[in-house]
Amino acid sequence: MSQKPTFAAIAFGLAIGLTGAANAAWQPAKPIEFIATAGPGGGTDNFARAVQNIITKYKLVEQPIVVVNKAGGSGAEGYTYTKAMAGDPYKVVFGTSNAWNQPMVSKVAYNYTDLTPIAAMVHDEFLLWVKQDAPYQNVQDFLKAVAAKPPGDVKMGGAQSKDTDETLTRMIDKAAKVKFVYIPFKSGAEAAVQLAGGHIDAHVNNPSESIGQWKGSTQRPLCAFSPQRLPDGPKVTATQNWHDIPTCVESGLAIPQFQQPRTVWLPGKVTADQAAFYVDLMKKVQATPEWKEYIERTSQTDTFLTGDAFNKFIKEDIERTRKVAADEGWLISN
Amino acid sequence: MVSGRSLEATTALITGAFGAAVIVSSLDNGIGWSAAGVESGTFPLIVGLVILAGSLFNLVQGWLHARAVILGPSEFRRLATLFVPAAVFVGVIPLIGMYPAAALYVFGALAWHRRGSLLLAAVAAIGAALALYLMFELTFHISMPRGALGTFFGF
Amino acid sequence: MENLEALMHGFGIALSGNHIFLMVIGVLLGILVGVLPGLGAPNGVSLLLPLTFGMQPVSAIILLSSMYWGALFGGSVTSILFNIPGEPSSVATTFDGYPMARDGRPTTALATAFGSAAFGALAGVVLITLAASWVAQVALAFGPPEYFAVYFLAFASFIGMGGSPPIKTLVSLAIGFALAAVGIDTVSGSVRLTMGIDEMVKGVSFVVAVMGLFGIGELMIAVEEEFHVKAISSRVEWREVFRTLVGLPKHGWALLRSAAIGCWMGITPGGPTAASFMSYGIAKRLSPRRANFGKGEPEGIVAPEAADHAAGTSALLPMLSLGIPGSATAAVMMGGLMIWGLNPGPMLFVEQKDFVWGLIASMYLGNVVAVVLVLLTVPIFAALMRVPFFIIAPVIVIICTVGAYSVSNSYLDVMLMMGFGVLGYLFKKLHYPLAPLVLAIVIGDKAEDAFRQSMLMSKGSLGIFFAKPLVTTLILLGAALLLMPTIWRTIGRMMPRSEVKP
Repeated sequence: MSQKPTFAAIAFGLAIGLTGAANAAWQPAKPIEFIATAGPGGGTDNFARAVQNIITKYKLVEQPIVVVNKAGGSGAEGYTYTKAMAGDPYKVVFGTSNAWNQPMVSKVAYNYTDLTPIAAMVHDEFLLWVKQDAPYQNVQDFLKAVAAKPPGDVKMGGAQSKDTDETLTRMIDKAAKVKFVYIPFKSGAEAAVQLAGGHIDAHVNNPSESIGQWKGSTQRPLCAFSPQRLPDGPKVTATQNWHDIPTCVESGLAIPQFQQPRTVWLPGKVTADQAAFYVDLMKKVQATPEWKEYIERTSQTDTFLTGDAFNKFIKEDIERTRKVAADEGWLISN
Repeated sequence: MVSGRSLEATTALITGAFGAAVIVSSLDNGIGWSAAGVESGTFPLIVGLVILAGSLFNLVQGWLHARAVILGPSEFRRLATLFVPAAVFVGVIPLIGMYPAAALYVFGALAWHRRGSLLLAAVAAIGAALALYLMFELTFHISMPRGALGTFFGF
Repeated sequence: MENLEALMHGFGIALSGNHIFLMVIGVLLGILVGVLPGLGAPNGVSLLLPLTFGMQPVSAIILLSSMYWGALFGGSVTSILFNIPGEPSSVATTFDGYPMARDGRPTTALATAFGSAAFGALAGVVLITLAASWVAQVALAFGPPEYFAVYFLAFASFIGMGGSPPIKTLVSLAIGFALAAVGIDTVSGSVRLTMGIDEMVKGVSFVVAVMGLFGIGELMIAVEEEFHVKAISSRVEWREVFRTLVGLPKHGWALLRSAAIGCWMGITPGGPTAASFMSYGIAKRLSPRRANFGKGEPEGIVAPEAADHAAGTSALLPMLSLGIPGSATAAVMMGGLMIWGLNPGPMLFVEQKDFVWGLIASMYLGNVVAVVLVLLTVPIFAALMRVPFFIIAPVIVIICTVGAYSVSNSYLDVMLMMGFGVLGYLFKKLHYPLAPLVLAIVIGDKAEDAFRQSMLMSKGSLGIFFAKPLVTTLILLGAALLLMPTIWRTIGRMMPRSEVKP
């Protein structure tokens, strides 16, 4: 199935050769499939569609691009599918850090080494949120209150299990010497509503997952898990914008950085030329004003990582997650 | 000829086998209570046990109380004329792709019943494939399987 | 009354030529994706979304929500004509809709369905208009234990209706639960029940199961029993459409009750599927014509359709006011809202009055447009029943195949669908009920998640289900519905016995 269509490729090569446009670089010769490892409307889906829209708008690729959602199994469906497409440069999969973190903690049939890394295009931020009318004014108050209760009495909600939200919760546990009980929901949006209803005490949502709730005064952020404050911008509430929220380190919770990269991959066994084509394509996407607009709208951070920098990032992230996962006994044996 | 008894038994064996498979695979996941709450194998285990026990009951019950014959030779033949072509259609999709398979299926069905000319059947077959293409591929951007044949021709 | 004023203002916005045109386009496209199994409103919405970027947010949401109405209506068409429900929420419509259509009355069945659906939708919109802020508060009261209680109630009202052998019902239900558990488990993140097939990590899709169980299974039954659809007159039956609509108030009580159940399940997180099943179950218990249910009883169409649409409509409210998408379509629309620069959430009603009330007004208009268009198409759809069986059979097989494939571009799903087809045939032949299996596939894993989330919150104590008045009431109501038939049957059995024994 994934065999390259040799005779068509030759024909195509000939055609290009005749028109004189031939050079060493690879160009796509048929429609490209973008695989979003999230359902319609999810963060990764919006990411894939934003890239698709920009490419289409600027005609960065001659071939049409189709977005396919393969959200099953927390994204495992998309990665497993891509793994099976080894050598096919017409499948591009969009995901997060779960590409390398999920195989560590559950018995899925892929690993990130089965894929060809292209880029990490943007980082989504994490914040610690509490209910609007909660008595805590800052992280210290909150953590003190948690420590005063018996372990497992204070409920932290989050999206999925053993994924970024729970990993971050366990890091907070360790840094502040407390013990939250973690309640996994299907999505961050669901956790936000549960917090608004007072069924849980806190969550660690991304900005875009809770901005509506913050505006509506049902919950507020205590601190951001980023090295510096989020960029200045328009007011979200009457008095505050994202920049007014202190970093967690500033307010005494020693977790300097925790971010969710949004990643792009090709299947394994593609040629260097093919990978280079997509790296170049994503760079072009990143340079457009629409991309800036997408990043601002979703309050994410622009950090384009590719090649060695991306590989280094993956290594570090794995290192960090593995530590938490090992302590919690999540690691699967393989 | 298929008796009610054997049909009941077959069905109970199918569901029972599924129940047993559910039980076996649920054991991979941990049963009972742990620090992370109710473990993920618990519900599948209970459900698997219910399926298995229920299937055993149905097996015995079906054996004792089934009606004598439910599928005579003519019923069986009619079922085959529906199911065999459908299964062949589904079976050849990976080989020749969705569109040719659908066209051949429609053509075959019309030709078999001998209403109208073969030409008409051919037109209907191509029309069906074309309609599928327009609707799914073109309008809603869902690409249908090309099959080994399509790959060979470079689609 | 402040709301009514705002609504009038909203009508001013929605009632422009441009917007009516968008509604017609949206509804027609919606009917198309609704009728084609495998495609659904999410496909249509994601297709249209890029077109809306240049539009005013109000125009864009009018286009998208009209498509949603169209898809809701269209979903009932295949359920009634071919026993293939395109959406989980139209499964219950097949129970009486299909028998009635097969009986030579497809026009009546479709008109009944559309008429009651329109009534349900209207009830939903009226509720949104009058009680928007209150409704949002109610939705917030639902935490994991309450969610579990709602799902329990949905199961309880539908199961235990009798009719099928109890052990077969139990096996069918349990198989549904097992299928719902396949894939990644939300609460633990681990992979379950994939039986060694890597791709199964994505889980078993409802659409795949239903195409096989209902579509292919029913086809096999029809062929084997040499079932012929009763002759349908070739006249275009406008009069029949009209007569059916005029006759609907006969079912006034059922309509009201079903719309109430629908609204309630739409606001609480039960959703349209739970609503339609529950409404059908309750109608069957309460109706004097109980025995006719499943054989083409009009009330068996009225109940699920009115509830489904009432729930589908009122479910948009939590999306707007809380930012929880109640369905895949709502999720895509929410993505759209953000692209247009709006943040769904409590402030939307305050900051974007024009947008919100324009949308609510368009719900009234959009539903009117949808029901008119869809009623106009009734004779066309009914005419499909006259296509000879030897043509329709391969077409249904192809549609089910394509539908199963397009769920996630997977051939495995096509094989599964055929497997479910054989199972559906065997089950039907041997009087195993299919409905419990379907209900369990749709809400089984949600019920399990809610239960386990509750257990995490209570550190393993079942007391959490009796800790607050709301959850306790729901649980007790469910238990009563579950036990009632058994108690009645026992009493019924004891009575004659005491007569025999003198």
